Amino acid sequence: MSKKPVKGEYIETDTGNKVSRRSQIIGTTNIILGGKTVIQAEVIIRGDLLRTYPPSNPSEKQGNPVAVAIGRYCFFSRGCELRPPGKLYRGTFSHYPLKIADHVFVGPGSIVEAALIGSHVHIGSNAVVGKFVIIKDFVRILDGAVVPPNMVIPSFSIVAGRPARVVGEIAEGEIEGFDLREVYRSVGNA
Amino acid sequence: MAEFKPYTYFQCPCTDTSFSTRRRIGDSGPSSEEETDEDERTFDPRAPRANYSLYPLEHLLYCEDCHQIRCPRCVLDEIVCWYCPNCLFEVPSSSVKSEGNRCTRSCFQCPICTAPLSISSTESPPEGLGAEYVAQSGPYVLNCAYCLWSSKEIGIQLEKPNSIYAQLAKIKNGGEPYISPKERRRIREERKGDGEESQGSEMTLDPNEKLDAESQFANLKAFYQEQLAESSPASALGFTGDYGYGSPGALSRIMGLYTGSSFGDKKSKSRSSMMREAQSALEGLQISSPSASEESIARLRASGWEGTCSTAQRLAQAHNPRFVSDLRPIAHLLRTKRSKRCKTCRHILSKPESKVQNTRFRIRLVAPNYVPRIAIRPLQPGPAAPQALLLTPLRPTQFVLTFSNPLFDDVRVSIATPAKTPGRFGSRVTILCPQFEVGANTDVWDEALREGGAGAGKGGEREKRRTKAEASEGQQQAEAGKVWERGRNWVSVVVEVVPAVLKVGEEEKKDEKEEEEEQEEEEGGGSRYAGPLREDEDILEIPVFVRVEWEADVAQDEGAGLAAANNKDNKEEKEKRELAYWCVLGVGRIARD
Ligand SMILES: [Zn+2]
Ligand SMILES: [Zn+2]
Ligand SMILES: [Zn+2]
Ligand SMILES: [Zn+2]
Repeated sequence: MSKKPVKGEYIETDTGNKVSRRSQIIGTTNIILGGKTVIQAEVIIRGDLLRTYPPSNPSEKQGNPVAVAIGRYCFFSRGCELRPPGKLYRGTFSHYPLKIADHVFVGPGSIVEAALIGSHVHIGSNAVVGKFVIIKDFVRILDGAVVPPNMVIPSFSIVAGRPARVVGEIAEGEIEGFDLREVYRSVGNA
Repeated sequence: MAEFKPYTYFQCPCTDTSFSTRRRIGDSGPSSEEETDEDERTFDPRAPRANYSLYPLEHLLYCEDCHQIRCPRCVLDEIVCWYCPNCLFEVPSSSVKSEGNRCTRSCFQCPICTAPLSISSTESPPEGLGAEYVAQSGPYVLNCAYCLWSSKEIGIQLEKPNSIYAQLAKIKNGGEPYISPKERRRIREERKGDGEESQGSEMTLDPNEKLDAESQFANLKAFYQEQLAESSPASALGFTGDYGYGSPGALSRIMGLYTGSSFGDKKSKSRSSMMREAQSALEGLQISSPSASEESIARLRASGWEGTCSTAQRLAQAHNPRFVSDLRPIAHLLRTKRSKRCKTCRHILSKPESKVQNTRFRIRLVAPNYVPRIAIRPLQPGPAAPQALLLTPLRPTQFVLTFSNPLFDDVRVSIATPAKTPGRFGSRVTILCPQFEVGANTDVWDEALREGGAGAGKGGEREKRRTKAEASEGQQQAEAGKVWERGRNWVSVVVEVVPAVLKVGEEEKKDEKEEEEEQEEEEGGGSRYAGPLREDEDILEIPVFVRVEWEADVAQDEGAGLAAANNKDNKEEKEKRELAYWCVLGVGRIARD
């Protein structure tokens, strides 16, 4: 913690997001935050990594381009990084948007380059979620896991290892535990 | 040292066979005799069997009809649907039966590291203006983005970027065409139809071919079925390609085995003795060549250690390969969605929606909605870093146990622990308040409204009261027989432990005799002191027997009207509910000297 906090640790937005003053959010105009999301110190969000490859149907291009879309009640722990995935496609390198739904927790020091993360997903600490990974709802990724690129993780999976594999199933009674509303409320702004 | 988080595991009563009988007796009013019996039994969380009966509360279900906790051991799983975990397509059970439990689309795992494989063209991508509009063409290879393995390494290239399963089924490692058992059967049948002399089919089978296990089995099976059909005409009707256990021929053969007499007609019996053995690869005969092992040795010399598969890699393959160059991409195993039934009464406890991507449940009776949750925290705020918290041997330490009631009725909770924890190192345990009442869980919506909306749940209130209590913690003193803290639907009580000294090894043996007298009843002899500290033996685990009693509102039960009418004489019992089970509280690690 800082020695002399003049202001609070977090900047609070109109929609209730709590964004640490010590986070690095690059390309803010290309980032959507759904609200009530917590971004801790030293978190890096690369909104600057925009899609450069032309969309398949040109009519869909409208408004601001989005590099990172984040839903409600997400929690990004200290030092984690969100990067839109990129690949070489037909001779052109381009990034593609990173979409994150609601109630997604990302542990400290983890790097996320997924294409899609569903709702109620818990990613542990120091995990790596590879490029273009698709994580469905109610998934737990354990600490230190390295999810290989392009992996699809179905709902109710517990994933661990290097490379990560499905090692277990989420029990019926664990579903409520993914809700992050309480976690959001417990974040004070000292 | 790894961070220690206090935990609570619940024992499913199904593992305790004596429990169910006692419970049945107990239903007609527990007598004092049974009470003492129950008190005498102590659950040892370190017993090897305990591993299989302890679960976090979230892993348990609850049967509303049996009024009992249900664990994975006492529920029955029923498959709702099959699906591929990679492409998320549902696979109908008919094709699971015919094609096996793997995805037959294009979902493959790396044979080296299990990461998913992706397909890409081997041609260099077009460059320059308008390059993105140029259609790419094959050949294609499967690539692993994790370990950079490529199907090129096993000499496999594909013509199309889709239906990879079907394509791979026709290619051997190295690129030669592979004739699948299915294809073999087709060719065989064609031949039979055309007559032996005709060689019209596009593929001919080599009688000296080296077969893989699957093809060999298929050939052998076909051969023997043919032989059997020829030998006993009666069974010809029954053998239509399956094992034919139900066919009359097979039946008469089996009956013949038991009775010793010829059940079938004598003609068929004499003919069956004329059955010949397989004579060529077409019939599944494989002559093991003495040079085969020499070949493997030569290959081993050439490829070295790196060229051989690990056990895990080998186990993932059906054909048991020795060398990395023999590995095949692994089609994804299918996964299932399952509903769960109570083994005792067969009622459904959990039923997911049948659509693969729908995560909702139609029925979900989970234990946390019926069984009080138990949270543990140290009473003293403790040092700054909680992960560094170690219990000091022989220093009394107090913990707060918080019971929260999920039921909409007030419950009476009784808890009991052995005076000393079981195991080699017995720590003394005292519960300061073993009996208390916990208030009902009021409706979440009532509370949310009271809290002033914004979705403020039960936790908000709880948090507030807790912090208030913490502020005054300095003055407050834990008193015997008194509840520590109380909230709307929760109660905290204090438990005091005196951690044991973790003495092991030679020293211990010397004063074994003195110790023995003192420790006899718990340890049953000094010999168990021998040996080093076992894994996690320094964790202080307290077995706790919990009994929850409450008066359930009969009207709330489904079909209660009928039940009430039927049970007018013993209405009292109907309303009284009781749930009793063992728990294990892991409170912390004991410091070593
Ligand atoms: Zn059970
Ligand atoms: Zn698939
Ligand atoms: Zn690999
Ligand atoms: Zn039942």
